[in-house]
Amino acid sequence: MQTQDPTDLLAEVLAKKAGGFVELRFHKRRTRSVAVEKGRVDSSRISEHTGVGVRVLEDGTWGFASTDRVESAAIEKAIDDARRAARASAAKRKERTPDLPRVELARGRFDAPGIDLIDKPIDEALALVLRLEQDARKASSAIQSASSSYTELYEEKGVVTSDGAKAWSRLVRPEFRIMAVASEAGELQRGVERVGVTGGWECLFQHDSPEVLTERASRTAVDLLKAGYPSGGRKRVLLSPNLVGILTHEAIGHTVEADFVASGSCARGKLGARVGSDLVTLCDSGISEYHEGAGGSLPVDDEGVPTQRTTIIDGGKLVSYLHDRESAAAFGVAPTGNARAWEYDDEPLIRMRNTYIAPGEQTYDELVAGIEDGLLLDGAGNGQADANGEFMFGTLTARTIKNGKLGELQRGVNISGQAFDVLCSVDGVSSEFRWDLGSGYCGKGQPAKVDAGGPWVSCEVLVGGRQ
Amino acid sequence: MGSTDTTRVRDAATTAAELSGRAARLCRRALDAGADQAEVYSVRSQKIGVTFEKGDLKLSQVDDGSTLGVRVFKGGKLGFASTNQASDEALAGVARDALALCALNPPDDANRLPATRAAAPALDLIDPAIQALGIEEVVDYGQRFLDRAAQHDARLAIDKASVELHFTTHSLVNSEGVELSESDAALGTSIFGMAIDGDDVGGFHYTGDNIRRASRIEASLASAADEFAEVCLGNLNTGVGESYNGPVLFAPDAVLDLFVAPVVSAASAIAVQRGRSALKGKLGESIAHESFQLLDDPTDLALTGAASFDREGQPIGAFPIVENGVLASYLYNAYAAAVEGRESTGHAVGGARGLPGLGPHALSMAPGQGGDRDALLRSMGRGLYVMRFSGSIDPASGDFSGVAKSARWVEGGQVVRSVREILISGNAFELLRRFVALSSTAPTLHGAARAPWALVDGVSVTAG
Repeated sequence: MQTQDPTDLLAEVLAKKAGGFVELRFHKRRTRSVAVEKGRVDSSRISEHTGVGVRVLEDGTWGFASTDRVESAAIEKAIDDARRAARASAAKRKERTPDLPRVELARGRFDAPGIDLIDKPIDEALALVLRLEQDARKASSAIQSASSSYTELYEEKGVVTSDGAKAWSRLVRPEFRIMAVASEAGELQRGVERVGVTGGWECLFQHDSPEVLTERASRTAVDLLKAGYPSGGRKRVLLSPNLVGILTHEAIGHTVEADFVASGSCARGKLGARVGSDLVTLCDSGISEYHEGAGGSLPVDDEGVPTQRTTIIDGGKLVSYLHDRESAAAFGVAPTGNARAWEYDDEPLIRMRNTYIAPGEQTYDELVAGIEDGLLLDGAGNGQADANGEFMFGTLTARTIKNGKLGELQRGVNISGQAFDVLCSVDGVSSEFRWDLGSGYCGKGQPAKVDAGGPWVSCEVLVGGRQ
Repeated sequence: MGSTDTTRVRDAATTAAELSGRAARLCRRALDAGADQAEVYSVRSQKIGVTFEKGDLKLSQVDDGSTLGVRVFKGGKLGFASTNQASDEALAGVARDALALCALNPPDDANRLPATRAAAPALDLIDPAIQALGIEEVVDYGQRFLDRAAQHDARLAIDKASVELHFTTHSLVNSEGVELSESDAALGTSIFGMAIDGDDVGGFHYTGDNIRRASRIEASLASAADEFAEVCLGNLNTGVGESYNGPVLFAPDAVLDLFVAPVVSAASAIAVQRGRSALKGKLGESIAHESFQLLDDPTDLALTGAASFDREGQPIGAFPIVENGVLASYLYNAYAAAVEGRESTGHAVGGARGLPGLGPHALSMAPGQGGDRDALLRSMGRGLYVMRFSGSIDPASGDFSGVAKSARWVEGGQVVRSVREILISGNAFELLRRFVALSSTAPTLHGAARAPWALVDGVSVTAG
């Protein structure tokens, strides 16, 4: 199941085909998943996808090719193909990419915690999702249907470049999801709980047991049947850590990816400018900060750059973008370890890892008490941000706050705002911190496994309720 | 043009024969390992592509890879495994994995392969002129695509554009004697970016197409580039809208997301059987305004999903889902059909890396008689025109809430300004009954589906 470190083979091939910049990336992904709905096993799957991606810089132009055969002749041919593709298009390139500056590149072996999980038989996960799906259906007579799933991504990567990287890394990312659908008088409502980490089984359920997650999903579905809709308009809201995570990822993170900055995102030209209140410090890190297991953790990026914590906003001021090697050279800074490719046949792009707002000093109770008329929003739905900083994301539930007291449950809504305006409206940040989007994927042409989170945050947004 | 074999795709017959041969070997291994029934679905995907970033060529790419997925049944139990490795050792391993998973699962009477049926007529999916394109021609088309968009206005910022030739062969072999294969060659285009005027950064827009006929390439590139430029430039100089509950005009993209997708999701027989469909018990009943007609038509060669067989080897053809506002049928794959003791409707979907799912192939919502977009704007008079929806739709309840993107404010039947920070919400199933008019044409959307413009009453609009 585990592959022998292929970086020596990659280095030998690279030596044989030396000339210009060449990056060889071995990637094996083994996915194990089980999914159950209403007592039926819908999916029970093991999938492997293995190969080598080749990227070259030839005539100042990038060429890329891949092979699913991890052997010298196939990799050499892929190098030739990549060079041929680059040369075929070089005449159309207006500005040649200069040679990449020398930077510190990773060498050695990097194993993330928890990789023993892949030796655990899948039986236990299957038994768990079967039992919990049944528990969810039994939780209330109003529950019509339930589903539960477990997915585990095991990744091995070997990156070797002509300018010195030679890194072999392994990690595993398990995810668990439970959903209950309740029905009453022809109306359907659902409750969903999901967790995902970079780590082992214990890490996956470090905060809440699977039984607690199941009970919560069932209760949410039933309670939402009787809940009303919030009214729309601009409101002060208290965002839960998972919604803070969505805010940092969608509203801020994408706008500071250096490729998007260069295209003209709303963060362009704002380095050093105030973009949030003093309470806002926002980072993206390849390391799991504050708590173990953040779902987007990775020791080395797909260009062989060691990952690190990148502070994007420091006390309300924009201080850095997110870079790969090429953009870092163009901006005259060091790369931040954000080059990521989904599979061996994808080229590396600038992607986030674990994005968060750093914790503050207030308690959750103090934040609730400080809101006169607003909403507590929880449960992250999908989200999207625009070039102009306008973002939207969905919430699963809302709860009214009147005069500092929590009120009735209401149905989730979508919220929107302009990213930096919302950060400037932040007037409270809790000391509690949580990673809470580890089961999420980011889409940017390719998927990427990311995480995001933070403290509870009080801010002002546009709420899309009913008129 | 000086290309070599590695930067041109191979011929269809050789590829199909190689793929089917490997699939047959894997099927035999699964049966030898103890499966009662086995099915192998395999896909070979060859790609030649070019990507532009920030107005300049970024990367040229050639890829070629195959994946085989085996589904096994034994004693009513189900297992699946896939690999992209071609060695005998890898095929033996994947058969073992599938059987090992199978042994763990509880049995289900509906777990079996569908009955073998006569194949549907083969479709003319390959234009030799598309298949013959090499890296140089793809790069050239990419440059012309980029130039066409950029020439509109210096304020356009093209973040990313790409042109990719995809040559795909898929094959299905099962233990009941089915052996099918089909190849497809298409040129895909996409463009993403915005307009920037000083400090004014407009909202982004993306569009693209998928073309099977070389004769359509020039028109397709021009159409996508022109639409991109028009919408991006229109997204500058935003003003505010107004909050109200009333009529909204939706462009085809938004119609597809807000109204077609929830119907299709709820028309899944599995969703109905498991109590999470709002259309449960509504077969033969009116679920929408009589103007709403929805067809799944995989014989439509203009759509990406055109094919002659589904993910389980069942023949597929034009299939009405909603006719004159009445729900005509639910969608079935083999499992859902077996649960009810009926035949699959040929709606197994998915790739080689997972079990067959259930869904449509090539959706086509029929146009109405409301004239063109401008006629519908005049009909609305005053209100919001939404080109794209960015938000969430609860597939169970039909509740939706999200941001109206590339939105325009309409007064006196004409667009008067672009608007920002404007949210819309409602319930898709309720609003399906409140269609006021549909446009007289239904364009293809990114080559994936067809839908018209729709004027819909009773939508909740919240302005920032």
